[in-house]
Amino acid sequence: MRTLSGSLLLTFRELWAMRITQAVFVVSTIAWLLLTFALNLEIVEGSLAAIRIFGFDSDPTQGVFNPETEEWDQVALGVDQFLMGINVFVFGASYFLGTLLGLFATMPLVSGFLEQGRIDLLLSKPLSRARLLSGHVAGVWLTVLTLASYLVGGVWLSLSIKTGMWQPSLLVAIPIIVVMFCVMYSVIMTISIISRSSGLALVVAYGLIFISAIFAAHDQIVPALAPFAANTFMGMYHALPNFIEVVAIQAQLVQGEAVTTWYPLISSLIFGTVTYGLGYFWFSKRDF
Amino acid sequence: MPPWKPPDSFAESITMNDHNTGAEPDRPRKSDDKGEPEKKSGIAIAANGLAKTFTSAFGRKRVHALRGVDIEVRAGEIVGILGPNGAGKTTLLKILLGVVSPTAGTAKIQGQPIGQASARKNLGYLPENHRFPPYLTGRQTLDVYGRLSNLEPNIRKERIPRLIEEAGLSAWIDVRVGKYSKGMMQRLGLAQAVLSDPDIVILDEPTDGVDPVGRREIRDRLRDLKSRGKTILINSHLLSEIELICDRVAILNKGEIVRSGSIEDIVTEGSGARLTLQDFPPDLDLSSFSVQVDSSAVQTEIILESGSAELLNALIDVLRASGCSIMTIEKHRHSLEAGFIHIIEQEENEK
Repeated sequence: MRTLSGSLLLTFRELWAMRITQAVFVVSTIAWLLLTFALNLEIVEGSLAAIRIFGFDSDPTQGVFNPETEEWDQVALGVDQFLMGINVFVFGASYFLGTLLGLFATMPLVSGFLEQGRIDLLLSKPLSRARLLSGHVAGVWLTVLTLASYLVGGVWLSLSIKTGMWQPSLLVAIPIIVVMFCVMYSVIMTISIISRSSGLALVVAYGLIFISAIFAAHDQIVPALAPFAANTFMGMYHALPNFIEVVAIQAQLVQGEAVTTWYPLISSLIFGTVTYGLGYFWFSKRDF
Repeated sequence: MPPWKPPDSFAESITMNDHNTGAEPDRPRKSDDKGEPEKKSGIAIAANGLAKTFTSAFGRKRVHALRGVDIEVRAGEIVGILGPNGAGKTTLLKILLGVVSPTAGTAKIQGQPIGQASARKNLGYLPENHRFPPYLTGRQTLDVYGRLSNLEPNIRKERIPRLIEEAGLSAWIDVRVGKYSKGMMQRLGLAQAVLSDPDIVILDEPTDGVDPVGRREIRDRLRDLKSRGKTILINSHLLSEIELICDRVAILNKGEIVRSGSIEDIVTEGSGARLTLQDFPPDLDLSSFSVQVDSSAVQTEIILESGSAELLNALIDVLRASGCSIMTIEKHRHSLEAGFIHIIEQEENEK
């Protein structure tokens, strides 16, 4: 356990020494300090009577289409809807921007870890290669968990205190961000180990995120394809991570609705597990 | 005078796959599965027929880095690995550490097969051009590597400041290592290698980039480790360093151990003799011998550069016939560097 903690600590400290990690931390702090001090809410009977940002009034209403009058009526915004809106924004920013930035930040981590003069020293220690790599992976996961918890948890705490509404379901964003980052990090890690090219690893990881946007529209795309192309498309859909579709699961969980399908998350987890397994296998076999 | 035959004693410690003599190399003693006999008999490192071939992608190019190396190092020795660039020295060390897997052959460290974490339990290592994370301080660096060596917190707390002090880095203990000079990094690296108080220390170019004062400090540190019964396997290009601290050396060339033995064996191999004479006739013709003559008012010194015992006896006969007195005869000693170059050139010529 002590040897594992050494490897974990090494990665954790390396990530925190990076300016990009420090920047994410600072931006997160600014985000929830703004929400705490610059945002004033006036709540009357569960609805927002007034929103004031930096002392400026904002209209706390939303347009609702009235089929009888066929006009848009301005109705007061419910606190729960307001919280949901903020949460969707924070989740979206941290899920997409956070993952892309996170992958970019961690890209040089594996190649640095595998550098001559460093990896040979690490491998000379009395711990197995699997344990050494596990410490590294755990260090990355822990850093992402810390950052996601700090941003999402901080925003949630700030808004909950302000509104008096405590909705723990909003916190579901944290595990989803962390899990999906971990899935995508498996690509960075494994390709870096196999090819020793962190640039290639990043391109493949970003490519998979991009492709997952196309997969998300599989219901519309597949009927238009020839049988062979449709089968190939669906084969890739099942085999590769469904980064974009997982957003729908998060939205349903936050709104307290039943999740229509867990499949995108499950298939992504299977992809991540297999990719990590491949990375571990390669790491345990190769010469350094 | 008897010929200056190298003593046999070294062969018990370092065995070689001797392609020059055609002799069957001594094989390392076999151990049982637990490896206890080797530990008890004091053999720290034993390798048998180690070979490594690096293959490029798609097998287009094959490089034979090691070709059947046998080596045996007893506990408490300082053994130097010498060889020109690309001889396979670092590959040999990396195989022993489990960083590189051998294509053929086996090796054990204190009876434990290499590649297993248990073989590295009692081992410290300083790689060539080691890179410590620049964002860590000296103290944090040793703490992290101490954890990786499975050192308990109280031991780390006690040992780290002491080793930092011994490395002469007390004033820098809480400074990021990114600001350390090359020499300071080497000293910190050595402190890291001995942090877990290992029985075996493997050093790859430990004095690389270190100034003469720093080199002397590292030498003293190694001697101190030896006095405490540690086994040290060292790879260095600085032959003068090796000469000063090693008990024995093994010379690698093109993946093979071409010679091994004590420093004395290497520096005297193929060398001639040094004769001190009195009443040396200045007109004596020694042109048939390859000699250097250095006369002073008191005595004359003749150095026979190289040659067999027969040649030396022939020279003695000529000198005695001329009426001069032979006061002393001793083996002429090369520097280790000259001995090393002589052996490598001999190998190249024979091939």
